[in-house]
Amino acid sequence: MISYEKHTLANGLTVIAHRDRSTPMAATNLIYKVGARDEDPGRTGFAHLFEHLMFSGSRNVPDFDTPVQLAGGENNAFTGNDYTDYYITLPGDNLETAFWLESDRMADLSFDPKGLEVQRKVVVEEFNQRYLNQPYGDLWLLLRPLAYKKHPYRWATIGRTPDHIAGATMAEVKAFYKRYYNPSNAILSVAGDLSPDRVFALAERWFGDIPAGERLVRHIPAEPVQSRARRQEVERDVPATVITIAFHMAARIDMDFYVCDVLSDLLSNGNSSRLFRRLVQDERLFTSVNAYLTGELDPGLLVVTGRLADGVSVKAGEEALWRELRRLQTEPVPARELNKVRNKYESGVIFGEINVMDKAMNLGFYELLGDLSLVNREVDLYRSVTADDVRYGAQEVFRETNSSTLIYRSKHETR
Amino acid sequence: MKPDRTRQPALVIPDRVGMPGATVHTLANGMELYAVQSTAQHLLRVSFVFRAGSACQSHPFVASATANLLGEGTARYTAAGIADRLDFYGSYYDVSLDRDYAVVTVCCLSKFLPQTLEVLGQMLLHPTFPEAELRTYADKRKQQLAVERGKVSFRARELFAASLFGPEHPYGVSYDAARYDELTPELLRDFYARHYTAANGFVVASGRITPAALKAIGALAAGLPAGSAVPVPVFPAVAQVPEAFAAQPGAVQSAIRIGRRLFTRDHPDFIPMQVLVTVLGGYFGSRLVANLREERGYTYGVFAALVNLDREGYMAIATEVTADATDDAVAQVFAEMERLRTEPVGDEELEAVRNIMTGEVMRLVDGPFGVADVTIENIQSGSGPDYVDRFVAAVRGVTPAQLQELARRWFDPAAFTTVVVGPGK
Repeated sequence: MISYEKHTLANGLTVIAHRDRSTPMAATNLIYKVGARDEDPGRTGFAHLFEHLMFSGSRNVPDFDTPVQLAGGENNAFTGNDYTDYYITLPGDNLETAFWLESDRMADLSFDPKGLEVQRKVVVEEFNQRYLNQPYGDLWLLLRPLAYKKHPYRWATIGRTPDHIAGATMAEVKAFYKRYYNPSNAILSVAGDLSPDRVFALAERWFGDIPAGERLVRHIPAEPVQSRARRQEVERDVPATVITIAFHMAARIDMDFYVCDVLSDLLSNGNSSRLFRRLVQDERLFTSVNAYLTGELDPGLLVVTGRLADGVSVKAGEEALWRELRRLQTEPVPARELNKVRNKYESGVIFGEINVMDKAMNLGFYELLGDLSLVNREVDLYRSVTADDVRYGAQEVFRETNSSTLIYRSKHETR
Repeated sequence: MKPDRTRQPALVIPDRVGMPGATVHTLANGMELYAVQSTAQHLLRVSFVFRAGSACQSHPFVASATANLLGEGTARYTAAGIADRLDFYGSYYDVSLDRDYAVVTVCCLSKFLPQTLEVLGQMLLHPTFPEAELRTYADKRKQQLAVERGKVSFRARELFAASLFGPEHPYGVSYDAARYDELTPELLRDFYARHYTAANGFVVASGRITPAALKAIGALAAGLPAGSAVPVPVFPAVAQVPEAFAAQPGAVQSAIRIGRRLFTRDHPDFIPMQVLVTVLGGYFGSRLVANLREERGYTYGVFAALVNLDREGYMAIATEVTADATDDAVAQVFAEMERLRTEPVGDEELEAVRNIMTGEVMRLVDGPFGVADVTIENIQSGSGPDYVDRFVAAVRGVTPAQLQELARRWFDPAAFTTVVVGPGK
C-alpha cells in the first residue's frame, strides 16, 4: 500500500505526495502526457529525441545534470508510446533542487542549435546500438507495423528510421514544447520524508507561475479490428530462429487487461510457468520463451514468443505454442495454479514498491491512467480474475484472425 | 510571486553516511551469518556466498553450471517441483556468478519464509544434478552464448579480459560454446562437494529478521558440511597485450574497451583512484561523456570504472561508437586521460564528483538489500564494516593536486590495453 494525497495547482499541474518516514532519500517523478503515439507519422522518434533535448539546458540551468549531481542525486528519463517520464532521486535535504530544475525546464527551455545537432547524432547512435547492432534488435521495428495498421503504436518510440531523427528541425522542437510541455499536461509525484502540505507548498512556489498552456485535444486514430491472420518472415544473421505471435487485447484500464495479465503469467511468469516447463524443459523445442503485455494505455498487445532450439522446425514450434494457447481456451485453470500466479503477482507488487523512486513513479503512472486509487487496488483486481474469466479471455484473444506472427529466421538454420 | 530560479537552492551534503551495521552469528559448523535488520517492509532476502566462481573451476563452465543447477533437482523435489513451490510463494530465486564467487539469493515475503527456506535448504544441501536437466541447460546456454557473441560489446568484453590477463589466465579465459557438452553430473557433484561448504562461504540475511527468522536461517546454514577451505588455485603469470582487434563484419558500431591492470581494494591509492576514474568517466557528465557524446555525438554512452577481483583490480573504459569514429574515439579517450595528467581538476568539478560519489553511497545503503550488497562486498574484500564511512571521508578529502599526481602515476598510455571489435576498415 502506498499512502498519498493529491492536489491540483491553478495552472492544472497535478501534484501527488507520499510520505515515507523510513528513509533520508527523496524522489520526484514528472510525467508529461506525450509519447510516440502523438507523433507525426513523417517524424517518428520525435518525442524521444525531445526527451534528450530536455537535458540540453534551460534559462537558468545550462546543464541539467550537474546541479543534480552537486546535490548528491541522480536523474534520468524515458520515453514511451504514451508518456515521457523524468525522475530524480536525491537526499531529502536537497529536494528543493529537483523542484527548481524541473520548473526551470518546464517554464523556459533553451533551444540551443548545438544541443539539437548533437542529440540528433546521439539518438541515431542509440538507434544503432540498441536496434540495429544487436541480434534481434530490429524485431520490434518489424512487429509493430505488422500488428498495427492505423494506430501510432505501429512505430516504436525510437522511431521508424534514423532518417526521421536526423531530419528533425528546431521549429518542430519549439512547436512540440509549446504544445505538450505544460503544467496542465503534467503530473508531478514526490516521495520522501516530508508532509504532503509541504510538497504542495513547494510545488506552488516553483511551478505556480508557469502558464497552463493550451488545452490539448488528441486525435489518435483507433486501430481497426483485425479480421485475418497476418504473417511476416525475415532472415537475419542470428544464431537461432525466433517465433513471435502478437494478439490485440484490451486497453490498460479495461477489466479484461487483468485477465490478459493472468494469461501471460500462466504462460510464462517464472520457472514453473506453462511455456517454460513444457516447451523448454520437457519437450526442449525452445531454449527460451516469454509471454507479456505491452501495457500501453490504448489497446495493446499480448505477445507470445520463443527462441527455437537447434534442429526444431518453425512449424513444430508454432504448433507447440498454439497447443498451449488452445489448452487455455478449453481446459479450466486448476485452482492451485491460479493461486500461484496471484501470489506471485502480489509479491511482485510488494517488491516493486520498496524505495521512494518506485513509489513516486507508480503514483505518477496510476494518475496518468486516470484512476490513482488503482495503485492500491490492482492486486485485488488481479485476484478477482476467475478460472472462467481466464478461459473466456483466452477464447477471445487467442484467435488466429487476431494474430500477427513474425518469423525471425536464422540464416544458419540447420534444417 | 515568481520564484527565484537564477540560483540553485542551498545544498546539504553529509560528511558521513551512517550504514546500519550487521550482527554476526557464528554457527555450529563455523559458518558466519550476518544479519541486516530493517522493519520497514515485511520482506526478507537471504544470500549464500561461496568462493566458487569460474576462476575456481578445473573444467570449462563447471562453476556456473553447478550454481545454476542447484535448483534443477534435489533429493526431495524435481526441478518442476522446486519451480512450482517458489512461484507459489511468490519467492524470487537468483544465482549470480563472477570470476571468484557464486551467490545464491532468495527473496520472499515474511509470511512465506519457512516454506521458502525449506526449498532453499533442499537446493543448497541436497542437489542431485540430474543428467537430463544438465543437457537441457547446456543446450540453452550454448545458444545463449552464441547470441551474446553476436554483440560487439560482449565480444569486446571477452577479448579485453584475454588481452589484459592472457587467454589462459582464469581472469582472462573464455571458452568455445561446444565445451558445454563436456559437462557431466560427476564434475558438478565434485565441484559442489568441495566448494559449497561452511568453510568456503558465508550468509547475509537482510530485511525483517525476527528471532524466529534468524533461527531458521541459522539452522539451514548450519546444515552445510563444515568442509575445509579450498586452497586458492595457482594462477599462471599475467600476459597482457597492448592492442587487440576482432572483426564483426557488417556491424554499424565498434565496441571499444580501454584499460589497464591496477590493484586490489586494499591499495592506498584505491579510493582516490575511484575519484579520478569517476572524473574521467564514472557519471553522466564526466569528461568522456562530455567529449564523446555531448561534444562529438559519437556514442549513446561511455563509462569508466575500477573493477575488483579477488586477486587483481583493473580499470576499464567501455563504449560503442559509430564505426567511422572508432579511431578518433580511441584518440579522444587517451587525450582525456592526458589532460588529467597535465591540468588539475577544477574545484567545482571535483566538488560535483565528491557529491555524486557521496550520493551514490547514500542511495546504495538506503534500504536493507543495498546494505546486504555492501556487506557482502566488504566481507569479500576484508574491508570491515566501517569501510563506507572511511570511503566517504577519503572521497571528501581528495584534492586536485592528489588527482593529478595519481593520473601521472597510473595514466601512462604505455601501460594501457586497447581492444576494438567492429567492422574494421
